[in-house]
Amino acid sequence: MTEIAWLRLAADPGVRVGSLPLACCALEVESAVRQGALRAETAADGHPRETVLLVAGTVTAPLAPLVRMVVDQAPAGTRVVAFGACATSGGPYWDAPSVRPGADAAGAAGVPIDVYVPGCPPPPEALVAAITGREVAP
Amino acid sequence: MTAPTPHHFIALIEDACTSCLICVQECPTWCISLDSHHEEVSEPGARRPRTVSVLDDFRIDYGLCMYCGICVDLCPFDALEWRPRVGYQAEGRDDLVHDIARLDGGTSDG
Repeated sequence: MTEIAWLRLAADPGVRVGSLPLACCALEVESAVRQGALRAETAADGHPRETVLLVAGTVTAPLAPLVRMVVDQAPAGTRVVAFGACATSGGPYWDAPSVRPGADAAGAAGVPIDVYVPGCPPPPEALVAAITGREVAP
Repeated sequence: MTAPTPHHFIALIEDACTSCLICVQECPTWCISLDSHHEEVSEPGARRPRTVSVLDDFRIDYGLCMYCGICVDLCPFDALEWRPRVGYQAEGRDDLVHDIARLDGGTSDG
């Protein structure tokens, strides 16, 4: 499996979270770590019950095959989260020739997305909501 | 650390919108679109019939929106405003495109 930094959901370490840090949305993932919602995986964590992959940032044409490879290598049943406007739709760069209009854009190397999290960037609590499937209170 | 503030969403006050298209033109990500048509209004005593724009549909694509608020700031008629939002995420890309019915409510259910 391609080396990515694996995290665990602090409230439920059975949930393994992998982040593809493609652009500035990765900082929001870092922020969730700093706030204590996510933490680095340790050897004691054992086999995950559930795996979530975060596409955190802009998917450019050269990087799309790499995103595809990581998603293909993930265990069956892995949920893929498009975290932020870029991974959802291309965001502010949707009309740039080198930017794919979303991680799931049709054509070569698009990946199926299970949850779209809007925002530029979405706040860390939106990330936790997407991982746990629970919406954020107003 | 202060408590995190959830994103608000942009609500449309339909009666205030004149379909002037300023928000559509100024949005940095082109996430707003609207449909309107013109209607002739005849008032007694007027020299000629006047024409008004009537809003048919208004859509914000939250998959593109940066929540920058430029549309809210620039609307000359205060037809857009921030409101607390309950939901963020969607399981389908199309669910992030909110049409006039979803933008006009008191709060959005996502």
